[in-house]
Amino acid sequence: MTPFTYSRASDPQSAIEGVAANAQAKFLGGGTNLVDLMKMGVETPAQLVDINRLALTQVEELPNNGGVRIGALVRNSDLAEHQLITARYPVLSEALLSGASPQLRNLATTGGNLLQRTRCYYFYDPAFPMCNKRNPGSGCGALEGYNRIHAILGQSEQCIATHPSDMCVAMAALDAVVRVQGPQGERTIPFADFHRLPGATPNIETNLRPNELITAVDLPAMPLATRSHYLKVRDRASYAFALVSVAAILEMDRGTIRSARVALGGVAHKPWRATQAEKKLAGQQPNETTFRAAAEAELAAAKGYKYNSFKIELAKRAIRQALTTVATMA
Amino acid sequence: MTPNTEILGPARNRVDGPLKVTGRAKYAVEFEVPRCVHAWPVVSNLAKGTITAIDSKAAESAPGVLKVLTHQNAPKPDEAKSKKKEVTRASGIRIEDRNPLSDDQVHYAGQYVALVVAQTLEQARYAASLVRVSYAPEKPTLTMAEAAEQAQEPKKNQEENVQPKKGDVNPALANQSLVRLRETYSTPTETHNPIEMSGTIAAWEGDDKLTVWNATQFVKGVQSLLARTYDLDLENVRVICPFVGGAFGCKGAVWPHELLATMAAKVVGVPVKFHVPRKEMFTATGHRTPTSQTLALAATHDGKLQAMQHVSQTLTSPVGEWTESCGARSTAVMYASPAIRVEEIVYPVNVATPTFMRAPGECPGVYALECALDELSYLLQIDPVELRLTNYADNHPIKDVPFSAKHLKEAYQLGAEKFGWSKRSAQPGSMRDSELLVGWGMATCTYPAHKMAAAAKAILRADGSATVQCATHDLGTGAYTAFTQISSEQLGVPFEKVTFELGKSDYPFGPVAGGSNSTGTVGTAIHEVAGLLHQALAVLATKDPKSPLHNLQPNEIAMVAPGRIGLKNDPLKSDSYADILQRAGKESIAVESKLEEPEENEKMAFQSWGAHFCEVKIDPLLPRVQVTRVVTVIDCGRVVTYKPARSQILGGVVMGIGMALHEETAYDPHTGLPATANLADYHVPTNADIPQIDVHFVGEPDFAFNPIGARGIGEIGITGIAAAVANAVYHATGKRVRDLPITPDKLLS
Repeated sequence: MTPFTYSRASDPQSAIEGVAANAQAKFLGGGTNLVDLMKMGVETPAQLVDINRLALTQVEELPNNGGVRIGALVRNSDLAEHQLITARYPVLSEALLSGASPQLRNLATTGGNLLQRTRCYYFYDPAFPMCNKRNPGSGCGALEGYNRIHAILGQSEQCIATHPSDMCVAMAALDAVVRVQGPQGERTIPFADFHRLPGATPNIETNLRPNELITAVDLPAMPLATRSHYLKVRDRASYAFALVSVAAILEMDRGTIRSARVALGGVAHKPWRATQAEKKLAGQQPNETTFRAAAEAELAAAKGYKYNSFKIELAKRAIRQALTTVATMA
Repeated sequence: MTPNTEILGPARNRVDGPLKVTGRAKYAVEFEVPRCVHAWPVVSNLAKGTITAIDSKAAESAPGVLKVLTHQNAPKPDEAKSKKKEVTRASGIRIEDRNPLSDDQVHYAGQYVALVVAQTLEQARYAASLVRVSYAPEKPTLTMAEAAEQAQEPKKNQEENVQPKKGDVNPALANQSLVRLRETYSTPTETHNPIEMSGTIAAWEGDDKLTVWNATQFVKGVQSLLARTYDLDLENVRVICPFVGGAFGCKGAVWPHELLATMAAKVVGVPVKFHVPRKEMFTATGHRTPTSQTLALAATHDGKLQAMQHVSQTLTSPVGEWTESCGARSTAVMYASPAIRVEEIVYPVNVATPTFMRAPGECPGVYALECALDELSYLLQIDPVELRLTNYADNHPIKDVPFSAKHLKEAYQLGAEKFGWSKRSAQPGSMRDSELLVGWGMATCTYPAHKMAAAAKAILRADGSATVQCATHDLGTGAYTAFTQISSEQLGVPFEKVTFELGKSDYPFGPVAGGSNSTGTVGTAIHEVAGLLHQALAVLATKDPKSPLHNLQPNEIAMVAPGRIGLKNDPLKSDSYADILQRAGKESIAVESKLEEPEENEKMAFQSWGAHFCEVKIDPLLPRVQVTRVVTVIDCGRVVTYKPARSQILGGVVMGIGMALHEETAYDPHTGLPATANLADYHVPTNADIPQIDVHFVGEPDFAFNPIGARGIGEIGITGIAAAVANAVYHATGKRVRDLPITPDKLLS
């Protein structure tokens, strides 16, 4: 681990100033990912600004519109069990509880989880010579390598890594809005615009500007979001990253799907909003034919590699299964 | 006293349990050694090449750094040049032959190329990141195909013939009137991954005295090996390891870290701790080699095997010799067949050196054979249990001598009954639990009974307490408890008053804790030392006019009841230990048994057996295999202490489920670097993957094998379970996956 200095911020402004003062500084939240990467030598910040004492730990109802605001430092376990979440956005609760282990969820924060970095082997271990994320221009080791856990949608020749978060898949389906504060003040970023596809710059993973601090995630009001499901397919029953996951929400109107929200995990560089599937679902009867058509439409553009082509079929099946589960809910 | 013929010993709680759960059990690297400094390794990022330069200037000037050891400046201790040449069974085990930092050659990715020693662990770790190593890379050999020209056919693995044969398999395998099968089964690289990583603290006193606190399965072997490596007298090397946090084989041999820690401590002049990082546990302390095994079977239409051929292909490294004898330990042992042929081919590749891992050979070998038999049962339309009974071997198929105490039929019967096997519908895909496919599979498990040499010391005190010592090991298995129980029974001292001490080279010789030999081997030594103790008491008593045994011959006297010796043919004439010692004015007496090679009985074969019955449930749409029930019945001779023994079987079954469904060390196909070298990406089963496991024991104490009647229990549980799972998966889905682990992708099509 490279030596670093440590300071503790007492309010967002001083945290932002602390990070802005040093080009090699990073915010420290739960540390479940950052500290791990520092030990591996992937992250080498010169300074850590600890934001754990900031007053960003509340889950609260937004005035007027019935939405919910989640402070950036709300721990995954607290968020998963929060009454506002279990009652209004159960898909988020399910997604959180399917991730990591209780010990990790007790530490991991909402803001930190948005910035969780890929589990790509070629990124995670600097022993591998090629990784365009770690070392832009060095190439993608996974492209011709052991790419069983890698992307099938939206990837580029420069990077086929996937985003590992479960929480973010549910938030993508829920049309969350990320609230950030920076040297130039506060702004909001729609969830779909928060993470980026790799393109030619896989080292730039989000549209956060330098020194911006995530302060909260807003979930819009969604009266019918209780008809939902998070389905995670993995290699073992617990404590494994998703091979494929699906967050699905169906708004029904007298036996017809009025609207659908579907997002996929484990398939792309960002939480993948399945807009092609959603289009095929809107206005249709909730049956096997509809679900199959939706799954086929979403995966039509998918591309697999030597070890991960199975994910295309697996993703289709997971979409069908998740939608079936939601459609048959009481 | 008549020997205890009960199959199940008492269900003792672990004697070291309170220490473990309160954190007071001290593991090797937890000892607080004054002035101890820390080491962190630099490893090779390429699989083959020559080191052309090492720039360690930045590392050397980093805070706290004492030394950067490389092949250019490291001492070159060499066991091969030792003047202390006594090569005995105590000589320790090396699997990787090359000494670390001995030259500029790189043979595999992850090889140690430098070691940084610093005041703190973090200083050493940081400085290691500053060491720049330049290489002249060469194209590595990574696969069997690439290594074809270097293929070897080993004849022997230790003393065992690994290419055994009987009769001629070719006529039956070519006979079209027989039911025949030829399939290839593969298993991936598996890594031991005990929770306690390997580690060594090395402390020199001058140039001729060395103490190491070392996580090991063989304290005496480490002692002997280090003594030869550094030309020291054996008694000047001490090895201390009272607890081991799991090992499964990766702590059996001496690996580079033990040599590096001792080298570094010599160079810097203060004690050095080298705790192997988790990532290096995948490259620097061995792994189970991948296997590709081709089984060819021929049987009559009523299921009688006529020929069995088992060809195994495995890997080793360029600097280590390892043979994973799959067929010799499964197909050559398990079933009656007039013709058997076992072949092994080993390919050296530029991958880290493999080693023994829980049931080496038996574990992958039994997996392949038991899957092939399951396939044969469908071809024959004979129930899998029935097929095994049809080919039941009362005699060892190759040695043609009877097994000492084989109760496998009872194991099949009890297992089938407890599982409800008779309710199985034979047709694959025919059993359901609402939407889920249900599969029932079974397999035989087996493991040989090994015995080695050990000695023990017993101290009996006038207060009725006793201490027994042997330089043996508790790998987390419950050995402390089993040896306390055996000592209590053999000495005739209450369980609560016995202290068993192990894990120190100061004690009488104990062999490597491997091959499931410890309970029987050390148990036999305890039996012997108990006899010596009783004789020593008899000598005191017969000389004592106040003893009822006065003037009798000591050799007519033995233990007649706990705490009493007496006349063998008139047990009423007896005296108590306490009275004898008290009258003799002795606080205590101590005796030590001799170290002698055990007698081999060539007229019998000694082998443990068992059967696994397994249920899986699989969602046909999203086919992750969930094991929902396991019944395991084991015939291993006497079970010394029921609770830890049952836990050993549970652990074996859990590890076998991991082998079947999860475990794989995957490598990058171009660089040969391990890709899944951490416990997030290398999957072992979680609690959620494990069902209730119902364990039963059958059989009888095997007194033909040893006076304890126990054949050992550490490894048998893992054999066969992967086959039982794979066979259940076929029964559920109709899809035969012959390539472990059975992950969801392999069941999609």
